[in-house]
Amino acid sequence: MLRKGAWAEMFSTVMVIVVLGFMFFSFELHRTSSKEIALVAVMSAVAAIGRVAFAALPNVQATTFIVMVSGYVMGPSAGFMVGAAAALVSNFFMGQGPWTPWQMLAWGLSGASAGLIKKLFPSISRAGMIIFCFLWGYFFGWIMNLWYWSAFIRPLNINSFIAACISSIWLDSFHAAGNAVLYFCFGQGFIKILGRFYRRLKVTVR
Amino acid sequence: MLEELFYQEKELFLQKLHPAAAMLHICTLLVLSLIFTNPLYLVGIFLCTGLSVYALEGLQTWKLFIKGGLLMTVPIMIINPLVSRAGATILWHGPRLPVFGKITVSLEAVFYGAVMSMRLLDVISIFCLYNIMVHPDKALNILERFAFKSALVLSLATRMFPAMIRHLENIKQVQVVRGVDFSTGSFRQKLDKYTNLIYILLLSSLEDSMEMAEAMQARAFGSGRRMCYVRDVFKPEDFICAASSMTALFVGALGAVKGYGVMNFYPYLGSVYSMGDIYLLAFMLAMLSVPTLLSWGWHRCRYFR
Repeated sequence: MLRKGAWAEMFSTVMVIVVLGFMFFSFELHRTSSKEIALVAVMSAVAAIGRVAFAALPNVQATTFIVMVSGYVMGPSAGFMVGAAAALVSNFFMGQGPWTPWQMLAWGLSGASAGLIKKLFPSISRAGMIIFCFLWGYFFGWIMNLWYWSAFIRPLNINSFIAACISSIWLDSFHAAGNAVLYFCFGQGFIKILGRFYRRLKVTVR
Repeated sequence: MLEELFYQEKELFLQKLHPAAAMLHICTLLVLSLIFTNPLYLVGIFLCTGLSVYALEGLQTWKLFIKGGLLMTVPIMIINPLVSRAGATILWHGPRLPVFGKITVSLEAVFYGAVMSMRLLDVISIFCLYNIMVHPDKALNILERFAFKSALVLSLATRMFPAMIRHLENIKQVQVVRGVDFSTGSFRQKLDKYTNLIYILLLSSLEDSMEMAEAMQARAFGSGRRMCYVRDVFKPEDFICAASSMTALFVGALGAVKGYGVMNFYPYLGSVYSMGDIYLLAFMLAMLSVPTLLSWGWHRCRYFR
């Protein structure tokens, strides 16, 4: 029989692909205009550029911040698409790897969760969003640790997962701090600009 | 450096394969590298992938991937011995740590960490092969059949990415001409400078998105059934490559179920090879090398074309 570990790796990767497939399918079911598609594509490309533009700063991922702002303004489904597309597209140029589906999931979920936060707490304060962005720096790192942990570390238990998280904690902390600083400095401005363009999609003249 | 990581059209045999055949070959390599734990199998898959990379003239790109991969193997080599308690040959008794308890490092766990590092290099090499073998558009064409809107978003974003990088460079040059020095200043100042770049890029890109949407509507986007202008043809060489990959996958999976290619690490290291292992590995590698052999023949023998 195949060893248990092989099933764990396959199962975790298959689960990620199933979740991605489900989210893409839900985007397909939405009635989407050409303007919305173009806007999602542009925000994905801008978020992907965020990886390149901030490459000089250690693990400051402007992508997470841009994806979360997109999700906050355009809603969970579009937010997920922006995050997933940003990961896939940027990796076409920076190298696809086993990390790609997990990055798609992590950035997709960050965008979707920002959209959900807006729906659940419409009047969420700036401080609340800063904390949320900060936490996503760690959530992103933990999701990325999952593929690494499930494929290459044995035994699969909470201790080994904590060890994997400890090994990446300084990178995750830079990511979290970068998200918080970016939102603190530029979050409101980005939301204002993107919100104005998003409203332009919805305006109809009778 | 980024250019080397992106697909470059070189008119090579392996790049001309049907995307489905190419993806099948890559998926077979990937699944086999995840199924097997025997280091001989993992080294074999690594060499086989390396041969394909060589046939695709991608050794420079492979070097970049391997450099990154070697960095990622460090935590694997450290964490596995620290958290595993199953090994019987203890090399070192360490202190007691709060979450992990008493640390013991065993020979078996160190060996397991090394084998898993080899597997990581396999997986990274296979993705390197994917990067230089399959054009992103061809990969997205496969997705287009199932999820048209998602594929369109991805295609548009893929098209825009290099254009935006050039646009970003232009904005940066303008800023430099105006006296902004991106290499100096504190973290906050650097952040400020770089985010200004993104601000300008965001505004101009959002304006462009409106024009793009109007161009899509002008070309009757969403008005009815879509037509497909280009279809990839499944040629005999695609069939041979797909069949050899399927055979390798089937035989490999069957072998793994029968216990070949799977090494026991705990409590004591098991045997690395048996004659059955050698036969299975040789057959599998021969099947996996078929696309590379065809590529060699295609470039050197006119009867292959």
